[in-house]
Amino acid sequence: MTRARSAGHLLIVFVSLTSAAVLLSAQEPQPPKVSPARNNPHLGNKESIRSGMALYRVRCADCHGLDAKGYRGPDLTALVGDMQDEKLFQTLRKGVPGTEMPGSTAPDDELLLVIAYLRNMNAASAAEPAPTGNVENGQRVFTAQCAGCHRIGMRGGRLGPDLSHIGAARSRSALVREIRTPAEWFPPGYETVTLVTKDGQRVRGTRKNEDAFSIQIMDTRERIQGYLKADLREVLYEKESLMPAFTTARLNDNDLNDLIGYLTTLRGPDSTVR
Amino acid sequence: MRTLLIAFAATVTLAAQGAAPQVTPQDLLDGLKDPGKWLTYGGDYSGTRHSPLTQISPENVGQLAAQWTFQTGTLGSFQTTPLVIDGIIYATGFNNHAWAIDARTGRPIWRYRRNLPDDLHVCCGAVNRGFAALGDRLFMTTIDAHLVSLDMKTGGVLWDVELADFKVGYSATVAPLVVKDKVIVGIAGAEFGIRGFIDAYDAQTGKRAWRFYTVASPDDPIGGRSWPPGGDAWQRGGGSIWVTGTYDPQQNLVFFGTGNPGPDYYSNAREGDNLYTASLVAIDADTGQRRWHYQFTPHDVHDWDSTQVPVLADLTIGGQPRKVVMFANRNGFFYTIDRVTGKVIVARPFVETTWAKEIGPDGRPVLLPGHLPDEEGTKTCPDLGGGTNFMSPSYDPTSHLFFVTARETCATYFAFDQKFKPGEQFESGGTTRPRDQKNFGALRAIDPVTATVKWEFRYPSVSASGVLTTGSGLVFAGDGDGNIMAFDSRSGKNLWHYQLGFAMRSTAGTTYMLDGRQYLLVPSGSMLTAFALPGEQRTQR
Repeated sequence: MTRARSAGHLLIVFVSLTSAAVLLSAQEPQPPKVSPARNNPHLGNKESIRSGMALYRVRCADCHGLDAKGYRGPDLTALVGDMQDEKLFQTLRKGVPGTEMPGSTAPDDELLLVIAYLRNMNAASAAEPAPTGNVENGQRVFTAQCAGCHRIGMRGGRLGPDLSHIGAARSRSALVREIRTPAEWFPPGYETVTLVTKDGQRVRGTRKNEDAFSIQIMDTRERIQGYLKADLREVLYEKESLMPAFTTARLNDNDLNDLIGYLTTLRGPDSTVR
Repeated sequence: MRTLLIAFAATVTLAAQGAAPQVTPQDLLDGLKDPGKWLTYGGDYSGTRHSPLTQISPENVGQLAAQWTFQTGTLGSFQTTPLVIDGIIYATGFNNHAWAIDARTGRPIWRYRRNLPDDLHVCCGAVNRGFAALGDRLFMTTIDAHLVSLDMKTGGVLWDVELADFKVGYSATVAPLVVKDKVIVGIAGAEFGIRGFIDAYDAQTGKRAWRFYTVASPDDPIGGRSWPPGGDAWQRGGGSIWVTGTYDPQQNLVFFGTGNPGPDYYSNAREGDNLYTASLVAIDADTGQRRWHYQFTPHDVHDWDSTQVPVLADLTIGGQPRKVVMFANRNGFFYTIDRVTGKVIVARPFVETTWAKEIGPDGRPVLLPGHLPDEEGTKTCPDLGGGTNFMSPSYDPTSHLFFVTARETCATYFAFDQKFKPGEQFESGGTTRPRDQKNFGALRAIDPVTATVKWEFRYPSVSASGVLTTGSGLVFAGDGDGNIMAFDSRSGKNLWHYQLGFAMRSTAGTTYMLDGRQYLLVPSGSMLTAFALPGEQRTQR
């Protein structure tokens, strides 16, 4: 019997070259004097790299993609290149505060196998190009198009996810996908529902929680409300996101590139910590 | 004054010496006949978790109200089935804490704390599933792989024996099963490469009476050939016991479901059926000798322990009376098996299953291609949590329905080679949830004669709650979101629910009479909640 595991609850190799290193050294206990990663016996070992690949696929690929180029989580081929193994080990062990990346309780040896795999992949891969967008224009696009629903720090709407850490939490390709086709994946707590009351009124919002007898939502006016299902005629689970799909007609490629350039700078409440 | 004290002490001593033991072997055979008692994990030896009590009924269950709560004040969640003996509740908790509690008020009387080592090897939480009782003694397995006997009056330790070495991955969470003068337990730890077993110990002395290995050695004439010849895979072949077995006094057989083979997913080094893992074993209660076995999942590669509760009943099938054992398995199939011969009478899926077409006439699953986990990942339903799991089902002999918490799930399974190191996790793989997968749970009522689902009540998320039924036609169960609920057993209509604040796991609690009131006692999170009807509703049907 093994406790049910999903990749979302396990080790996700979710590394930010810049912010995570600083955040960890500032907020977490100091790493042990001699990190197990200092003498990693698996580096370059073909058999170990194969085992590391298998571990990566079970525990990391759900967020970072089978090719490690990022899905919801960042592109690891771009991020781990300059990070020392000791810091990478500590990041796997402790997670990244303020993001979905949890820590791991796996044996040291398993983390070392994953590092061996990532190092081998890093040597073989071409990293995703660095963001090139105009950050100032991107911020203007954000204020005009996004801030009504998304919050950065203390400003903006609350209907969509808080984006204060989004630069540390998403790859560029994931950002493009979630802006162009937001219905492809809903973050937990942001699924679209419409509640139809007994008198026919419709209340649309994002689903925050639910059991067999009740449902809790934030409606489009940002009211958080609970409803008894016995008082509702119907609960409609919608396939569309409340966020409109920003197609090229709505957001041209240049503005999208600038917007992503801005979003990748968002790495925490203190924007000076990069 | 001194004379008075001596006289008082002498009276107390005499009273203590003259007091009848609180639980006799006959009491255990009688099961739930005494309405004030719940004496063993499944309520009685059959494991039906069906109470004959009728004060709480479909007509008045809507009035059920919390009477008291007990908070453990410790971390971790209950998976215990509390025992109730003469107005006192005996419950075990996380990290092997345990309590005696006044069943009228919820006030604790004594508490047992165990000094556990720091370097435990536990795959699935330091949980415990409950006490067993005999005489004035309680029995509990421990997460550091011991069996302890406690004084029912004080919680003091009477004896403490080691089952196996926790340092190499052995642990124990199962509620013991007392049969005659023996305490029967099983070991866990298959995720660490252990060799599982079922043991019996003398209730008085703690001396081991017999051991049955759930992984056959090469010299076993039946199971020995199901492991690679000449190899040592059987020595770390798994076969945990997570859940209490049941007992048929007429045949003097105990029935236990056994856990998955080890390593869980990568199976190249353990070619063969891997007996007696993922099986139901029928064992002589006096000697530990195997009478028969039935393997649900030969050569399991999906971590589908068969450590669900084997539920015993007498059914009429095809006009003939049959002594059966009913088993809703983690592999997604429900089985009705002849408990005299071990042959399958009927077996059908009770959740979506993609790995096997059916159970063939020879009792083996007819496998579908493409479900052997590998490094690339293969999608299979159900997921590793299974169609159901360690949570107890219930059987109502009046409606002739079997009730189980079902899980509708799928997973992508990965497998890879891994070197075995004693004391380290040894699973050789894992799972992820496919991106388009929407899991959910349900309470399902199954006709055991046809193995078909008669009704269901769906939950938005999966649940690990057990089920309890009563003589008034009620089914109690928990969803994955913290609700305890009551249903009409024949129709499945929901009649009552109460938000506990934490989902029930493993059990739906116990029910008993005290001072003329029927109580429903529910463990959830670190809390026990006792429910009863308001005073004016307390009329016997």
